[in-house]
Amino acid sequence: MNALLLSALWGVVMMFSSFLVKEKSAIRNMAVAGLVLLLLVNILEMNGKVFFDINTRGMIYFDRFSLLFNSIAFISTFIYFILSAKDMEKVGDNYAEYFALIFFILCGITLVTSFKSLLILFLGIEIISIPLYILTGSDKRNLKSNEAALKYFLMGSFSTGLMLMGIALIYGAKGTFMTFVPPATVKEAAQATPASALLIAGMILLLFSMSFKVSAAPFHFWTPDVYDGAPSVFTSFMATIVKAAVFASFIRLFNDAFGAEKSQWQLLVAIITAATLFIGNITAVFQQSVKRMLAYSSISQAGFMLFALYAMNGDGKEGLILYATAYSLATIGVFAVLIKLKDFSFEGFNGLSKNQPILAATTTIFLLSLAGIPLTAGFLSKFYMLKAAMETGQNLWLVIFAVLMAAVSVYYYFRVIQAMYFKDGDVSPDLTVSPAFKTILVFLAVLVILLGIFPGLLLNWYYF
Amino acid sequence: MGASSLIVLMIAAVAFSGIAILVSKLIVKATKNKHKGQPYECGVPTKGPNWVQFNVGYYLFALIFLIFDVELVFLYPWAVVVKKVGWLALVEIVIFFFILFMGFLYAHKKGALKWV
Repeated sequence: MNALLLSALWGVVMMFSSFLVKEKSAIRNMAVAGLVLLLLVNILEMNGKVFFDINTRGMIYFDRFSLLFNSIAFISTFIYFILSAKDMEKVGDNYAEYFALIFFILCGITLVTSFKSLLILFLGIEIISIPLYILTGSDKRNLKSNEAALKYFLMGSFSTGLMLMGIALIYGAKGTFMTFVPPATVKEAAQATPASALLIAGMILLLFSMSFKVSAAPFHFWTPDVYDGAPSVFTSFMATIVKAAVFASFIRLFNDAFGAEKSQWQLLVAIITAATLFIGNITAVFQQSVKRMLAYSSISQAGFMLFALYAMNGDGKEGLILYATAYSLATIGVFAVLIKLKDFSFEGFNGLSKNQPILAATTTIFLLSLAGIPLTAGFLSKFYMLKAAMETGQNLWLVIFAVLMAAVSVYYYFRVIQAMYFKDGDVSPDLTVSPAFKTILVFLAVLVILLGIFPGLLLNWYYF
Repeated sequence: MGASSLIVLMIAAVAFSGIAILVSKLIVKATKNKHKGQPYECGVPTKGPNWVQFNVGYYLFALIFLIFDVELVFLYPWAVVVKKVGWLALVEIVIFFFILFMGFLYAHKKGALKWV
């Protein structure tokens, strides 16, 4: 509850800073300070210090999982701010508003990770989506940015409509918006409606709309265009932090509301997972632009995160926490380097290791983590996911397929490494990066490796 | 309840719109005249092409108008119960006004109310 209120409040503060504060560096510092504050109150809440306690009649409930996920989102955003906040200046004039919108998105993220009522889920998803539509189109003079925003808005509204229809059907079947109904009433409901087609139909609609939000195939068509058209700084944000948070709500929804109907949706989720892995990885191979390749790679990573949904057990939840962190950190790092370059094609990376050895080395570590090479966080998180899927004991073809697809992903991630180290080129010789930027990148790379060796550093927070 | 109710819902949805169109097709005598194509109760007839670009300022004004429109809509139910609920209602509506006022203040400071 602390972070929820503070993030909304800080969003308003950032909004007003646009005409109260003149210097851009001051605005940036305010945003970073707000984020540190957010992280602080969230960690205090994890230790039982709740400052604001509003009676929401059980519609919002902050448990260990949601608080940890919020912390991960705040830490990732913090790193994202200190790496890329300076590059937001190039997007447009409304510098303070970009931060305000990001704080509103964080407010939505705290809602979707902690909902107990379907209405709160809907509210949270909308609070996340609407600022994202604006951020996508924030490069107002760029036609591609406009096109991406319009596409995202139309498709997003459509999927929100599906979600509302699903919620309405579930309300018809259950008679309540609460995701988890106490056992006594569940028994009565089960006796009253033995096989509720309404509930199944609503569940499938919710599954589809949430798949759209996390860009799982076959609902992924908006992803490459939107990620490619949006300004790169905001692509970095929406491909990592937002996607991870929506995954957390996806898991929470299906665990709380449809845990009893697992046999009904498990095969469907398995098919969606396989399709996502296949389409994401195979299409990424043919991309010429690294930015577009990262968009497809985010689809394929979503496929791996879907394993947590498919397995729906303790290992899956742990795996999702680790996966979301590993994926967010690595992708933020790659994007931070990509933004600095002028040419977003693979050739743009040619010879980067000669001009900027530190940038090249850290990018290599991030890409290795995304590909799932041992000793990086990406490897362990993929391992957790596959282990969770193995524990269910069925559909083993899915696990084998996922390993094959991970092997395919190595190809397109290594193309960037190859360009950086083994191809001659003198691209962006005027590239200047501050020592602070390099330090943060190195810190991020160390974090990725540390999580790959000691995942307990993060996962212990889940229990203690 | 069950699968049958869903099917009934789908059939009813299609039938509701389908029958309405069908009935009007069947009973209406088709005529064509000058006045039929005119917009119904939508103000005066237009002069010149109506696919012109509007000044973007109109939209800003419309959005700010919306803030106060919604505010007034919420005042009605509030006015009905304010006596029963007492002071708490007053405090709540002041908080509500304050939030909207912040939005208005932001729009004003950003120059959204200036006609350029």
